[in-house]
Amino acid sequence: MCVFHMTDESSTSGRSIDRRRFIRAVGATGVAGGLAGCSGNGDGGDGGDGGSGDGSAGTSTSGGGGSSGGTTVEMIAHDEWANVQQEVNDLLHKYGMSENITIEMNTVGQTTDDQQSQYRQWLSAGRTTPDIMIFDSGWTIPFLVRDQLLNLEEALPQDLLDRVHNDYFQASVNSATGPNGDLYAFPIYPDFPTIQYRKDLVQEAGYDWEQYATDPMTWEQFSAELKDVYQQSDVEYGFNTQHIAAEQLSCCVFNEYLTTYGGAFFGNPEENLYQNIGDRPVTVDEEPVVKSLEMARTLVHGNDAPHTLDNIAGNISPEAVAQWDVEGARAPFTSGNAVALRNWPYSIAISGSEDNLGETQGVMPMPYGVPGGEGNYPGTGGSTAALGGWHVGVNPNSEKVDSVISMLQAMQKPGFMKENFGLTGWMPPVQEVLADSTDVPIMGRYVDSLAYAGEHSIARPVTVLWPQQADAIEQSANSALQSGGNPTQEMDQLADRLTAIEDNFEG
Amino acid sequence: MATETNARTTRSPFRVDLALLNRVERLSDTQFAYLMLTPVFVLLGAMAIWPLIDTFQMSLHADNIISSDATGEFVGFENYVGMLTGETNALLPRPFLDLSAPLTSAVSVTVLFTGIAVAIETILGFGMALVLDKQFRGRRWVRVALILPWAVPIVIQGMIYYLIFTPGVGFAVDPLQSLGAISGAPLADSWSSLVIVITADIWKQSAFMALLILAGLQSIDRDLYNVAKVTGASKLQEFWTITFPLVLPTLLIALLFRTIAALKVYGTVVTVTNCNTLPTLTCLVVTTWNANRYASAATIAFIMAAVIAIALIGYLWKLRDLEYGGI
Repeated sequence: MCVFHMTDESSTSGRSIDRRRFIRAVGATGVAGGLAGCSGNGDGGDGGDGGSGDGSAGTSTSGGGGSSGGTTVEMIAHDEWANVQQEVNDLLHKYGMSENITIEMNTVGQTTDDQQSQYRQWLSAGRTTPDIMIFDSGWTIPFLVRDQLLNLEEALPQDLLDRVHNDYFQASVNSATGPNGDLYAFPIYPDFPTIQYRKDLVQEAGYDWEQYATDPMTWEQFSAELKDVYQQSDVEYGFNTQHIAAEQLSCCVFNEYLTTYGGAFFGNPEENLYQNIGDRPVTVDEEPVVKSLEMARTLVHGNDAPHTLDNIAGNISPEAVAQWDVEGARAPFTSGNAVALRNWPYSIAISGSEDNLGETQGVMPMPYGVPGGEGNYPGTGGSTAALGGWHVGVNPNSEKVDSVISMLQAMQKPGFMKENFGLTGWMPPVQEVLADSTDVPIMGRYVDSLAYAGEHSIARPVTVLWPQQADAIEQSANSALQSGGNPTQEMDQLADRLTAIEDNFEG
Repeated sequence: MATETNARTTRSPFRVDLALLNRVERLSDTQFAYLMLTPVFVLLGAMAIWPLIDTFQMSLHADNIISSDATGEFVGFENYVGMLTGETNALLPRPFLDLSAPLTSAVSVTVLFTGIAVAIETILGFGMALVLDKQFRGRRWVRVALILPWAVPIVIQGMIYYLIFTPGVGFAVDPLQSLGAISGAPLADSWSSLVIVITADIWKQSAFMALLILAGLQSIDRDLYNVAKVTGASKLQEFWTITFPLVLPTLLIALLFRTIAALKVYGTVVTVTNCNTLPTLTCLVVTTWNANRYASAATIAFIMAAVIAIALIGYLWKLRDLEYGGI
């Protein structure tokens, strides 16, 4: 023992701090740091039951513990709602949501892809918040098949379910319905693209497009007249649209082209749009699909370019459409620098303001290649608008489902839908309410065209494979539409790729 | 003394903490240093190694897109075989490696980007560093000007190049299109997009190379150049016999950093163009993940980590051979 102490003394004599003191100091610092951390967490956790998680939603929800004694439902919404959440809450209260309930809204991500990815993380982690989230009708199904959305058929009262099943736009309801026929999301607004145009330029060129507000033109007539208007005016662009290799092309622009020419992605859309993976035919290499791409190529590259159609007037869309998404295409139109634009209703609201085009903006449905009913498959041909729009999905782990139901009850009231239409430009999801909204500022002027588009819409084929197939479709369509593109070749390759994806599926 | 000590020992109860402290006191200096480093190793292991192991085990399973489970059944190395033989190319957002379409397959795009960008950045960076190494009036301001692009955040850098190459907005499309260098919609065309993204990267990262190489240049003993002058060596001889060999270890470190960063390129691609048009390896990981194919995404991620590890080992190997190697 004595020897040990002597050794110890000698070995520590060279150190300025001995090991015991060093370990004590480190231990004390660790304990102090730990306590500080715990007390910090404690402070942060006082916000309520929902806010004590990772805080990534940036909110705290008080549950029953808030000072007002009410319930705060945490919602992920769009800017259009989040920026006016007080007004939206007032509207919801006005139409029957309990005064004790407050909907606290936040937004996530810059794009819908960001949003989707964030939801995937939250729902995979089994979080109880956010309670409700706004879901794109185009990617609701991949979530519901993974049991990441509450089955509303089991949660909502029967009268509310009947209201949705019987009165809402059927295409919207279908995109919120699972393979078992149950409703998993609550349609909040549908979205249908239209042709928005400068009425003044069209009239100055001697045309009247207002007669086509509910009686669409063919692509042939549309392109010829538009080219004439374009040549007679001094605007920079003729027809702006979106050919970017992104979801916008696969779900919507290309979907519209091929359907208006009587084609389909997977044979009969009425049978195969949402089901029969592996057993359904892949029909993107059929003649109507290829022809629709040749039509679109003509709009951009003119009749002298290869793989174009002689009966379509060309060079009316800039080559830049290959990299344009909705905003790139909209901006020149809103500032009055384009004759026409294919875009969603939000764009009508922006361009229709008095600061922009005001009442000189006209709206009409998409043109068509073959008349309705003459397509290769039921429901194809004729003017077609791609089905967009958003639903409200409920977190299956939410502890505030009753409050959410109270909110949904208020949202299904016609008065709420109309006032919200005026507030945000979101179209009412019920045909009758939309038709009755002519008094809503700006949007009310175009209700007839929007209602026509709603009645003639086509959904994207959303199954669990859609995220994968959408990539393939948008890449091939974008290549086909570029200057050196060959629609026949691209569609053949696409058909092979889609077939491989379908065949690989084991469901 | 011994009797007193024995008496104290029998009176005091056995205490674990004191026993541990006694044990710590008996450790050699080296052992004590390792003991103190243990928490760091544990933390590093948890933060760096565990995610890699987790990714690897995920890559050994099948994809699962029909239920809430992240992955399907255990399939061993099937994903790796499918990926490396090209069997799964059709199922991915873009092919992993398809030499018949080098501008739209992930490995070839990443290799082209890394090779061209890093080579040009090194040459430019070296040139910039040689200029900055000289004494001249206003050198401080020239340094600031050269370093400025490196300080610009990736998103801003991306937006600058996105706007420059947006038809109707940027100034570059019309003149370059008339020269035949890019297409009319350059950000929708893979070749044009590759050129633009490489240009954006060179604009930003050459300064980084210059900075590191400059540090190497400034550590060279100036007397060596005086000797070279006395012996009548030309500028070129000076460069190849003094400057280059002495700056080589620093240059290799700079190359190591740049190569690794270039292999991981993602931010510049998604801000300037998109992953469909220019699918790099990181893009492929993200887009595959977004298609709910977590196992395939993990496989690509792990292959990527392996490629980066090989590049790292290659550089370190070369550095080890150098007399002045710092590692």
